[in-house]
Amino acid sequence: MAVTQLQQVSKAFGPVKVIEPLDLTVERSEFLVVVGPSGCGKSTLLRMIAGLEEATSGTILIDGEDVTRKEPSERGVAMVFQTYALYPHMTVRDNMAFGLEMAGVKKPEREVLVGKAAATLQLEALLDRKPKQLSGGQRQRVAIGRAIVRDPKVFLFDEPLSNLDAELRAQMRLEIAKLHRELGVTMIYVTHDQVEAMTLATRIVVLRDGRIEQIGPPSELYANPDNTFVAGFIGSPRMNLLEGRIIGKDPTGRKALIDVPSLQLSGVPVPLRNPGADVQGAVTFGIRPEDLILADDPAKADFTMTCEIVEDLGSSVFLYNTTSRENAVVAELPRATNPGHGERVPYRIAPDAGFVFGTDGKRL
Amino acid sequence: MRRPLRWSIALAAGLLVLAALVPTFFPQSFTLEHFEKLLSASDYLTYLVNSVFVSVLSALVTLVLAIPASYAFFRLTFRGRETLYRIILLAYAFPSIVVLIPLFATFARLGLVDTRLALVLVNVAFALPFAIWMLRSFFASIPREIEEAARLDGGAPLTVLLRIMIPLTAPGIAAVAIFAFVTSWTEYVFASVMILSDAKRTIPVGFSGIIGQYQVDWGLLLAGASLAILPVVLLFALIGRWFVTGLTEGAVK
Repeated sequence: MAVTQLQQVSKAFGPVKVIEPLDLTVERSEFLVVVGPSGCGKSTLLRMIAGLEEATSGTILIDGEDVTRKEPSERGVAMVFQTYALYPHMTVRDNMAFGLEMAGVKKPEREVLVGKAAATLQLEALLDRKPKQLSGGQRQRVAIGRAIVRDPKVFLFDEPLSNLDAELRAQMRLEIAKLHRELGVTMIYVTHDQVEAMTLATRIVVLRDGRIEQIGPPSELYANPDNTFVAGFIGSPRMNLLEGRIIGKDPTGRKALIDVPSLQLSGVPVPLRNPGADVQGAVTFGIRPEDLILADDPAKADFTMTCEIVEDLGSSVFLYNTTSRENAVVAELPRATNPGHGERVPYRIAPDAGFVFGTDGKRL
Repeated sequence: MRRPLRWSIALAAGLLVLAALVPTFFPQSFTLEHFEKLLSASDYLTYLVNSVFVSVLSALVTLVLAIPASYAFFRLTFRGRETLYRIILLAYAFPSIVVLIPLFATFARLGLVDTRLALVLVNVAFALPFAIWMLRSFFASIPREIEEAARLDGGAPLTVLLRIMIPLTAPGIAAVAIFAFVTSWTEYVFASVMILSDAKRTIPVGFSGIIGQYQVDWGLLLAGASLAILPVVLLFALIGRWFVTGLTEGAVK
């Protein structure tokens, strides 16, 4: 239960800069998720906090104490690895007790602490088994148990659910959320899966090429992205980003009027983040799939699109206007709709929906 | 390869008349007479003890040096690591016969000539480079996260080596032990030069004395050869169980 602070922390492997100098403060009891595409430096960031990787510059503070040059075990952190990293020749009990033994905890006390952690994670029946006798989910639970038992100030998770199948991943996600609530401990969690980020985080850090693109609560990142990268990364299916052009402002001055040639749209009013700014010229128009609404009356439709692919998820339906996922415009419709292949579907754009981004990708 | 072995055992135990006959695997008559003669009338037992002493000690010393050395080559980063790592293989660039004379002179100055310790030193020197190479690749096959987890758990490097890395590289360590043992067990050149007194000879050298200039006691020779392979067979039987794959199964994924 600690405040973790990174001050101008950077990391370079030789000439390759992985993390640009960045500042980050993780509050007490926070569940901070670091998310980004592979190679963005998120694991390196976590490993620097753990002490497995030395920071090239900057200072790392945990509870006000400078731990930048300290050994991993002296930082009061515990880490859960993507690959579990259990000690294969030891039983579950010994796996969990190893850290305590290294810390000089006497055997009777070790037994008590391991028992307590095992009870929290429903591992009691498995204590005498070896890792190879466990299923993937059980192994990950042991790895979490090994972290809990040391009562760390900060929990670090490095893509802990990536090796599990979808069903188990959803279940473990709930268990980790529950654990965070019960322990009330600071957790820093790295993932490339934006669903995990959205569901677990109290705050999300979006990282790209070693730079922080945006920090904020999940709902904030979803509803109010700073740039096209965050807009495209958070949300599934991703936000539609289309070329457009500003042709003016609406009478209130709070919305820009945009032409979007690829959808034959003209003068769509889109809210501006900063209404005072002088905006004109080429822009990127962003619209989330759920903000494209089926027009009941074709005469009132803003535009129509050919339905090339229908993904019926049961709860809702995704319509794609081309087979290329990169360029497709996706609409999310209620489950009752079931247009046929090649059908022209009329849409309206939800009021007050949409985002405008400048040519540099920044939100306007 | 298999035929001489079969012949050795079959001839030693069965006393087939030499040369004129093609031996059969199952002897027609059976006798332990040659083994009795070997153990009572020759110094074979002394050679055996010497060989066991030299080989076991060579294997142990090789392990004691190779394990930390290979772990250091694997884990530590220091200037010239890769160069040094390659240079140690230079030990194999020279045939042993080339270093025999200078080594003898050195050992003579140190008073090590005619000691079994001299053989141990030579055997270790020749087994060590390969042992280090082999063990380093075994260490490299252990997933990095296991070691990192141990570091986070507060394990000092030596503790991590002893408690985590050595148990996980047991097959590699067993392989290196057997390699060092067998190399020492069969070493002839140095054993024939460094050792002067009969009481300190190892099997390959001592045993060659059984072959006379004009006649060969085939029964005795083959009984000795059969006994000589026994420790190696036993070693494989005992250590062989460590040659199991999948020791790290369940650690990651």
